[in-house]
Amino acid sequence: MRSRVHRHLASVVPELFEDRAPAMAVLSVAGPLDAEEERPVLPPEFNWRDYTVMLLHVAAEIEHSLMVQYLFAAYSMGGPQVPEGLRDDVRGWQEVILGIAKEEMGHLLTVQNLLTVLGGPINLDREDYPWGSDFYPFAFNLQPLSADSLAKYVVAESPSTWSGPEATAIKERAAKASGDYVNRVGALYGRVDAILKNKDFLPDELFHADTLPYQASWDEWGRGYTRGERGQDSGNVPDVKSPELLVFGVFSRDSARKALHEIGEQGEAPDADEQDETSHFNRFLGIYRALTRLPEDQQALVSRPVAQNPVTAHRLNESQPVGYAAAEVTTNPITDPVTALWGHLFNLRYRMLLTDISHAFLLSGPVDNGGVLTGRGALVHRAFAEMYNLRAVAGRLVERPLEEDVPGGLLAGPPFEMPYSLELPHHDHDRWLLQRDLVQASQLLTDQLLSTDPAGADDPYLVALRESDRRALEQIEHVLSRKGCTR
Amino acid sequence: MTTIRELRVLPPLAVARLGGAAEPMDNYTAETDPTEPLGPRRLRPAPTFHVDPGSGAITGADTPATLRFTDGHGKVRPVAPFLEVWALTDDDVLRPLTVDLLRDNGLTPEDVRWRVRVGNHKIQRRTYDDNDRIDADTEWFSDHVSHELMGVCANFLEDKFLPLGHARYLKPTPEFPGIRLRFTPAAGHVYGSAYTDRPTDPDPNVVDFLYDATRGKWRGHADQPGDPRLTIPAQIYAGDDGPDGSWVSRGYLDDECDGLVHVALDVSGRELTAFGRIGAGPPAYAPDVIPIRTVADELDQALHGPAATGQDTLEQARAVAEEVLRRATETVRLMNTEVMNGNTVDGRVDAASTMVRQDTADTGRLFEPIMAPSLVDAAAVLALHRNVLAALRSGTAPWFADVLRDHDEVGDLTAKGRRKMPALMRGADGRSLALTRRQVNLVRLAARQAIFRQATDEPGGPR
Repeated sequence: MRSRVHRHLASVVPELFEDRAPAMAVLSVAGPLDAEEERPVLPPEFNWRDYTVMLLHVAAEIEHSLMVQYLFAAYSMGGPQVPEGLRDDVRGWQEVILGIAKEEMGHLLTVQNLLTVLGGPINLDREDYPWGSDFYPFAFNLQPLSADSLAKYVVAESPSTWSGPEATAIKERAAKASGDYVNRVGALYGRVDAILKNKDFLPDELFHADTLPYQASWDEWGRGYTRGERGQDSGNVPDVKSPELLVFGVFSRDSARKALHEIGEQGEAPDADEQDETSHFNRFLGIYRALTRLPEDQQALVSRPVAQNPVTAHRLNESQPVGYAAAEVTTNPITDPVTALWGHLFNLRYRMLLTDISHAFLLSGPVDNGGVLTGRGALVHRAFAEMYNLRAVAGRLVERPLEEDVPGGLLAGPPFEMPYSLELPHHDHDRWLLQRDLVQASQLLTDQLLSTDPAGADDPYLVALRESDRRALEQIEHVLSRKGCTR
Repeated sequence: MTTIRELRVLPPLAVARLGGAAEPMDNYTAETDPTEPLGPRRLRPAPTFHVDPGSGAITGADTPATLRFTDGHGKVRPVAPFLEVWALTDDDVLRPLTVDLLRDNGLTPEDVRWRVRVGNHKIQRRTYDDNDRIDADTEWFSDHVSHELMGVCANFLEDKFLPLGHARYLKPTPEFPGIRLRFTPAAGHVYGSAYTDRPTDPDPNVVDFLYDATRGKWRGHADQPGDPRLTIPAQIYAGDDGPDGSWVSRGYLDDECDGLVHVALDVSGRELTAFGRIGAGPPAYAPDVIPIRTVADELDQALHGPAATGQDTLEQARAVAEEVLRRATETVRLMNTEVMNGNTVDGRVDAASTMVRQDTADTGRLFEPIMAPSLVDAAAVLALHRNVLAALRSGTAPWFADVLRDHDEVGDLTAKGRRKMPALMRGADGRSLALTRRQVNLVRLAARQAIFRQATDEPGGPR
């Protein structure tokens, strides 16, 4: 968590600051989180609306971080070393984890809607890794899928009531792998809800229903992942159910609380039935049980030998271990020059994805059946296109060496490094200039890859990406010349 | 000596395309451009037989320098397919039937007999009156002149017939010794119905009046609601609003047809026969585009069954997935997605005949766009499809298998069901279009398996 947020967190997690009394004691005014009946207390420097916005910013970072870690784990799975008899299982597990990541994406968008209805700025930012979170039971850590990393995800998503010998064993394993395992995400949402439900803190007029056309909707972002109909077979893998993407429009106090409750329940399952397979907890636990039933040597074959926390080469000097509220984690610089280019391409497309999402939030959707279209639809589609590109580039990275000239060494993986800034220009015209910048940067990287990598000269994906960028640029120029797209 | 044992007509199914130009269309192939894999297919001219109009012999097989779909005077060049006779000989080889092979069997090209029978039963399909069937039959022939396919019908005006094109047995030559028939379809005209007991207004849409509207019921026909024999949707003929919401036929007919090409040959006292199927449809106005589901896909399913089998390799499945995506991209390129989604366009609600109108008309469902109205800007939808195609070319597993519509979901009117792919399009049964079960299953095969591969070390090798 960035330190400028961290200093305000005493209001939610005062125990973090116990050793800093008395200077910090004054900040711990909100009282302990588990005392639900206790009236939340406003920390210094805030009013209630702004404090709520700050807490939602923290929530957004957590949902974003969870999504990225799950994606990394899913992308690491597979490879030619997976024994034939395990392949159906591994592909099924990958689909489950990708589904959970998609659901986290829905949570992230819903938190943006909550921010938007309150008139707050949206937040797609997150800290680069590795970093410790005061709310999250383990440090942000991009790791290939293993029983250890799965144990962390099981614990992170577990209900507070989860106990018994299996719970103890998995919690111990997670703790050994990553340190502290207290889950505070539910507590954060609990605190936000305690504020939302109090009209004295947030009067009705602070919920701006007229922001709905600017909010993300399931119709735009759901892509057929049905609300309330989880349980249909997904077509990709037999017996794996489709994810249930929750994206709630928020227009009132009630709808805000319902949205918060639903995403809390799907994710962290505060009081969920342990048998309820819709929760992330039970889905992760199912995979954990199946994986740990395998002999150890087979467990190791489930994912490719992917380095944890791969970073692009320009960060060579920052590769020391970092310990922060968790066990130590290490970054792995990508030193193979071609792999590093792929890593940069990944980071750039990730930035394009985040830019498209935040840009879409600034344009209104149509208020009737589409009589007047803005560029919003195009941006939503571009965001999905970037998700597909990330998947494609990640596919390349998990097949490529981390280091040059180390036969049999570790493979790289998607670095997910954050851009220097996610701020968008004030004028829409200038936002499209930024869009053009990013596409042109991608063209430079693509050309470099096509000319540097002997194997990449006719890589069908790079050739297609180059063409797709060229066509995207034509569309952006069209918008910039005020002729189309945004009408 | 090689003895002819059986005959075949190949291809077994040939589709001609209507056109009024004298010179048929040249041959071409549609190929993906390796440097622009997301763009339209490129049309490449291919060797084309030229038939001498006088003798009926093939005089050359040059590749044209350029392709031209009209004669330069507004007339479309028809696609006129060749049907070849092949022989299964006693050495179990299927080989072209040629002058030499005939000679080996003591025969000449004049011993080969042809008969072409085609029909256009579109009116009869509506009126259920057998006197409305239009049929043409060349009877058996062995010469090399052009035989007109004269569509006759009991309810036609006196001395009138419907020109359905013509068939010609091409004269074999030493350079082109194969036994072939060429089917040249009709011009693509619209014909009308005239009364014999009262004056008929001239109609600028029709080139001639063929049908006797006093004797037959076609002009003025209206599909009767509730008739279980109706097509779905019904009322798909040129017409006008009539009383009580009926749709009244103007009595038009077109010159499309389909039917059989028979060939017969007496070999050593035994008559050998074979037949091929021909049909004539409208010109290809988007020749660089392949529809998302074609007759070829139906035949593939009929041949191999609906499931992916052990015979289907991952590479084939991946190729099918990419081809499906490419065709989807091509289809989207030709669609007005805003209108077809049911958006309000330029202030017009329900602006065209769409799946939205169909859903509402058939079931009383709310008139509701299929996709979120903000998402259907045509350029944006096309860009999305191109991006999916690009990502697929990385070797990544096709993740869109779970948005493909299954064959038993075509009537699913939930938001999710209506949004499945292919979207906004109608199948032959009046409900949403689905791919063939085999297409869907092959995409799913690729989706399940693609993560276990490793890039090869060969430069540019498959990934």
